[in-house]
Amino acid sequence: MSSQSEIVLTKVPVPLVAGFQWSVGELMEKFIKALADRKIWGVKCPECGYVYVPPRWRCGKCYAKLGEENLTELSGKGILLSYATAYVELDGAGSFKDLSEPKPIGAIKLEGADSTLFMPLGEVKPEELKEGMKVEVVWREEPKGELADIKYFKPAKR
Amino acid sequence: MAGRVAIVGYAQSHHQHDIQMTREDMVFEVAKGALRNAGISREDVDTVITASTDFLDGRTISNLYTSMAVGAYLKDESKVEEDGAFAAYYALMRILSGVHDIALVEAHTQGSVVNPHLVSSYTLDPLFERQYGFLNDISAAALQARMYMNKYGVSEEQVAMVAVKNLMNAADNLNAHRKMPDVTVEEVLNSKLYYDPIRELTMSPVSDGACAIVLASEEKAKEITDIPVWIEGVGSCQDGYLRDRSLYKLDSLQKAAQDAYGMAGVSNPFAQIDVFEVSEKYAHEELMIYEALGLCREGKGKTLIEKGMTGKDGEIPVNPSGGALGADPICATGLIRVVEAAKQIRGEANGYQIPAYRALAHGQFGICAQKNVVFILGSE
Ligand SMILES: [Zn+2]
Repeated sequence: MSSQSEIVLTKVPVPLVAGFQWSVGELMEKFIKALADRKIWGVKCPECGYVYVPPRWRCGKCYAKLGEENLTELSGKGILLSYATAYVELDGAGSFKDLSEPKPIGAIKLEGADSTLFMPLGEVKPEELKEGMKVEVVWREEPKGELADIKYFKPAKR
Repeated sequence: MAGRVAIVGYAQSHHQHDIQMTREDMVFEVAKGALRNAGISREDVDTVITASTDFLDGRTISNLYTSMAVGAYLKDESKVEEDGAFAAYYALMRILSGVHDIALVEAHTQGSVVNPHLVSSYTLDPLFERQYGFLNDISAAALQARMYMNKYGVSEEQVAMVAVKNLMNAADNLNAHRKMPDVTVEEVLNSKLYYDPIRELTMSPVSDGACAIVLASEEKAKEITDIPVWIEGVGSCQDGYLRDRSLYKLDSLQKAAQDAYGMAGVSNPFAQIDVFEVSEKYAHEELMIYEALGLCREGKGKTLIEKGMTGKDGEIPVNPSGGALGADPICATGLIRVVEAAKQIRGEANGYQIPAYRALAHGQFGICAQKNVVFILGSE
């Protein structure tokens, strides 16, 4: 009888592939389209005052319904609530691969907003990151009204 | 609580990849093992509740295929997504409803079949965070850790001390996966960086594992066993989505714990609970868990670990089994905490027994511990 260590059983690959397409909803549609004009929309709850970004049609905190009339423009400036440095990234196939250069990422509170934005950070070294640091959005050269128009956030000029 | 419900049997796997075990073999072993441990047969079971996550299973409605392995053939059966500790909560309610007397609860994940961190990214808002690609459970935990550490002046060494405690504890636990009896703070701090400050040894390992328990109504429990472990209190709470919650504290765990304490008549958990088994997916989370459970004031978790109070010989031992840092078969991890707490009360925690009359077990799910459940277990 063979020992356990000699036993090698077959593994079968079992892909689970499906492409999903979601409607973004009306307020998110406005948010995405406004990026083309370098504008960031949030939505302010008329009941409790919480400001969601990106905008959503309902307030989970007080359970009010929000609408287009509650949209509020945010400045694209904010502060860094937290930061981390990525040394790896998921390769999309289920493995981590090491990054050739570490990438900083941030949790950001935009001026006038309550939600936290999770965004890549740029034009800054990992060791320069500080909690409470002022940051601002960096737009793509020619914004097209897509989420990718927001390239990253960088330390704000004083 | 309306009536009393007890844990009367349990079983768990060795939480590591075993190429000879299919998922159904693993499920069968723990389900059958829990019934054997309770001294009952499949015929005695009224309802079966399983827990797993379809995407981690790689199958949709994955209980359709595992139902026979878990002993649910021609029985009332239901599946809970997420952690098995939530399935135990559900099973408790089904017994309290008076419709069922005996419930079998089973949970499993085989982390070896797909990278669970990839799956974690699929839980994010598909219309926003997922589109940017860099956020997953580890990178979010890194942001949470840094925020918590900055706010309360917690050092990386203090966080590493949690990993050292749990990985050393895991060495005494036959079922644990990552056992490091000689690990040091330096070794933890030199382990591979994933997302600074999260390192290989400050995050839970990717494990394969399953766990099962048998719950019974008071009358049945007394028939079945001389050592029932009573569920004295339970609480469960869901926080807001990642964007819209405080990341530096675990509000939903605090609420779940308060509900469980209220039901169990616990006013001072530090003094009234003998041992704690919690689901710390990251080392810093355990410090946050101390605070949310009311074992110390906000921001003072670091003092408990530094003074060794949560060590096996401390005043409030936390994770003598090694916790999630010792083994994390994701959907089974919280249910394993329930079993480990029950083992302490039954005096069956060989090698890491704490004198215990009352124990707390904690399960969680979601990025940065969005959702939490707490059980208070007791011998009387
Ligand atoms: Zn509101």
